[in-house]
Amino acid sequence: MILDLHAHSIKSDDGRAKVQNYCQWIRTRNLPIDGFVLTEHRQFDFESDYSALAADSGLVILKGSEVETEYGHVLVFGVATAIRRMTEQLDFTNIRLALTDVLAVAHAAGAVAVPCHPGRPRVGMAAHIGTYGIPQGVSIVETYNGGSRDNEDAIAQALASEQGYRGIGGSDAHIVSHIGRCATRFSVDIHNEAELVEALKAGDFEAITFREQAA
Amino acid sequence: MSTQISEQSADHNIEEADIRAAREQFLNVVYDEKEFIFTAEQFADFALACGETAPRYTDPSHPDFQAPPTFPASLHPGKRLPDGYPKFNGLGMDAGKAAAPVRPIRPGETVVGRTHVHDIYTKSGRSGRMVFSLIRMEIFDKANNLLASADTSIVIRERPAQ
Amino acid sequence: MTINTLRDVQFGEELPVFDPDTGIDNVRRFCTAAGWLGPRFTDHDAARKEGLPGALVPGIMSQGFLAAMIHRWAPTANITTIDTVFRAPVIVDQQYHINGVVTDIDEEKGQVEIDLTVTNEAGETRVFGTATVLIPTA
Repeated sequence: MILDLHAHSIKSDDGRAKVQNYCQWIRTRNLPIDGFVLTEHRQFDFESDYSALAADSGLVILKGSEVETEYGHVLVFGVATAIRRMTEQLDFTNIRLALTDVLAVAHAAGAVAVPCHPGRPRVGMAAHIGTYGIPQGVSIVETYNGGSRDNEDAIAQALASEQGYRGIGGSDAHIVSHIGRCATRFSVDIHNEAELVEALKAGDFEAITFREQAA
Repeated sequence: MSTQISEQSADHNIEEADIRAAREQFLNVVYDEKEFIFTAEQFADFALACGETAPRYTDPSHPDFQAPPTFPASLHPGKRLPDGYPKFNGLGMDAGKAAAPVRPIRPGETVVGRTHVHDIYTKSGRSGRMVFSLIRMEIFDKANNLLASADTSIVIRERPAQ
Repeated sequence: MTINTLRDVQFGEELPVFDPDTGIDNVRRFCTAAGWLGPRFTDHDAARKEGLPGALVPGIMSQGFLAAMIHRWAPTANITTIDTVFRAPVIVDQQYHINGVVTDIDEEKGQVEIDLTVTNEAGETRVFGTATVLIPTA
């Protein structure tokens, strides 16, 4: 199963895509992905229920978050109950969260935290290692990001290789036509956030990119 | 971000409490009103430089000649920000523009732009911590009909306090 | 294909790519018309002294390129909203591509949504956004 693990909808301040249009785009373009995770900036979208849309489109639509730390941006994946516990302990709107807190709270809640676009200036983990050192507790980073420029993905992959991190892929789509540019291939089927967390913890996945084909 | 607006300085970096206070004081309060009159040549040059081909934007002799749809986004209010608006420590850039034309703006017509702060929020990006101010200008004709609105997203890329 | 009515529009359709004139003379013409004359837009050396990679194409000019692309594709289209996010500088005298793709069609309203991007030669997105346009239904 292939999931795009990093996408934004109009729920994010800079997102311009409606979720139903992501689905229509994936189906019309026959994109080789089975679903996506909505990782809205600095929030968890408790309100939206995409189950009917998922059933109609035959796609897996899951929800996560993208929060901000001193090491840059971090995706958080977890079952809704875990996220609820996390949002009670961490202010997701705070753009100065401590990565160690995010990792610890995610771990305690049964969720998974993944630094995203780690090769990006300022908002990527690699840019801050010189200042803060190698963070403890990271096991997965995003090694393919659809919004990467220049050598950002190469930096991410080198970091993952050096530190022994596993890699995921996500499009970082903010508009409809950018969904599915990068994704993550899992060896198991995933139908909900709990199964996604289980699969990430199991470690049997790989980051993939479709950017060359899409360009 | 494509357009540098200004360098700002303050003796401290902005805190979330400052953002909340600014939202309470400034959101949705019109702080500037400015009259504009445009020429046909302005509209046509704007459109042609952008590669526009529709004659209603490029040809002043066209019976429906009017401002190009993105023209309202180019307008500057008399004051960029309200009096007393907090100074954020950093470099001001134009992070985004939106235009929503409602009725045609014609050359030679006097129009009024009324401007307010529509949103204030913070986030971090490639260039560090950023404070966004969404400034909305609504453009009216003399009969007070809304002709267009234009949003400018001003981002201050924060610098460490001295 | 030129679009005349909504029936001509297909979901996922890519608008013809348009390569804009980012030459410094054209940018000066634009800045004069828009009232945006300033050395950072019209003078590479002055822009570099400000720490910029070169003179910048104003964001509103990139937005104008995107609107022009829509009218080249559908001359009768009326843009009701156009919303652009400037993610990275667009530099004067460099080559860019103006791209659009149809991402929603509302047949009842005669309304189409279009994803918009300005990309550089490496295919990197410098500006992205969306537009909502009305196209005659018949």
